[in-house]
Amino acid sequence: MPSGFARHARPAPYTRHVPRRLKSLVLAAVMVVGACTGATVDPAGIDPLLPTDAAAVRSLLADSEQPVVLNVWASWCTPCRSEAPLLRQAHQQFGDRVRFVGIDVRDSQDGARSFIAEFGLDGYEHFFDRPGAVPAALGGFGVPLTFFYAPGGSLVRLHSGVIDERTLALQIDELIRGGG
Amino acid sequence: MEFTLLGAVAIAVGLMYATLWFEGGRTNAADCTRDVWDALITGAMAGLVVGRLVAMGRGGVNPVTNPGDILIVRAGVDTIAATVTALVGFGFMVRRDLWWMADSAAPAAVAGLAGWHAGCLVRDACLGTPSDLPFAVAQTGSNITRHPVEIYAALLLLGVAVLLIAWKRSRPAAGVVASVAALAIAVVRMATEPMRPVLGPSLITWYGAAAVLAAAVLAWRVRSVRCAGGT
Repeated sequence: MPSGFARHARPAPYTRHVPRRLKSLVLAAVMVVGACTGATVDPAGIDPLLPTDAAAVRSLLADSEQPVVLNVWASWCTPCRSEAPLLRQAHQQFGDRVRFVGIDVRDSQDGARSFIAEFGLDGYEHFFDRPGAVPAALGGFGVPLTFFYAPGGSLVRLHSGVIDERTLALQIDELIRGGG
Repeated sequence: MEFTLLGAVAIAVGLMYATLWFEGGRTNAADCTRDVWDALITGAMAGLVVGRLVAMGRGGVNPVTNPGDILIVRAGVDTIAATVTALVGFGFMVRRDLWWMADSAAPAAVAGLAGWHAGCLVRDACLGTPSDLPFAVAQTGSNITRHPVEIYAALLLLGVAVLLIAWKRSRPAAGVVASVAALAIAVVRMATEPMRPVLGPSLITWYGAAAVLAAAVLAWRVRSVRCAGGT
């Protein structure tokens, strides 16, 4: 009976065909997933977004009796596309306890409506900020941004960049429990 | 991909490589380290890509029309698809000597997972559900203390990796170490999952199914070796 080491001692390399196999695997996965996810976008049912400015957003936050998740996005922003499904899911799960607000910056109305239709984000309110002045006035920089506000408008947390599921769920839990 | 995520990946890959390096010539044959490493990395990469594609598909983002989104890993990777693909990819790579290669890779894979969970320290994402335990931690500016759930997972998995390495010195039968590792990973995940904040349904039933499957494979490997009369 050979020892464990002897049975491990095997000179044949396994790595010779790695690139070809990996490419085949990735290509097959892309084709399968791509075929399953045809995006049908019909923005006709989405109303044009109402323009807003920093003062109006501050007023909205101050008047809110619920905590607010305020997401800054744009249709041209690739990371915003990636986090949009998470925000939709979070709104479906927590929309009765937390107010969700979207601010579309430096964008066109057509682009904004297509984005909302594509990701099914019409469940919560969105505003149009063509000059992109609101995020800077609230203390953020860049896109995407996600602000978490306690009732009454005090900032609990600002997340810059793409937000992940765990962080979004944790911060919403903080808002609901009044951790700020 | 953001730098904090890269930091977590670097910790995971570093721990995985360090474990393989430590085992080379001790509990693994020295000349198999490179092959195990290549198979592990290939499996992990395939799992990452497919998991990301599935997550995009489920979120309604078409990866063919939005290929740039594939790189935004932070927005989500489907855990189940990634795990299955990684296992299949690894198994395919080492199919000629599956069980011995799986045993060779098992402690390194567990240590790598421990590193990934420990990477929460650079990602600022260690905290879970609220807790009053003395070692619970609050976010900066918050008065709610929470389980450092990712640290729990990292410590448990690191302990499992150390035990597996020690156990391998007694030359257990082929496939048993890998089966125990898979079972331990599933159990650790099941134990910590209720402490994680999540959106949507919890994956705990899937981890339970993985634990049952790993236990079945373990029983099969032990029985096969007993029936063959070998070690």
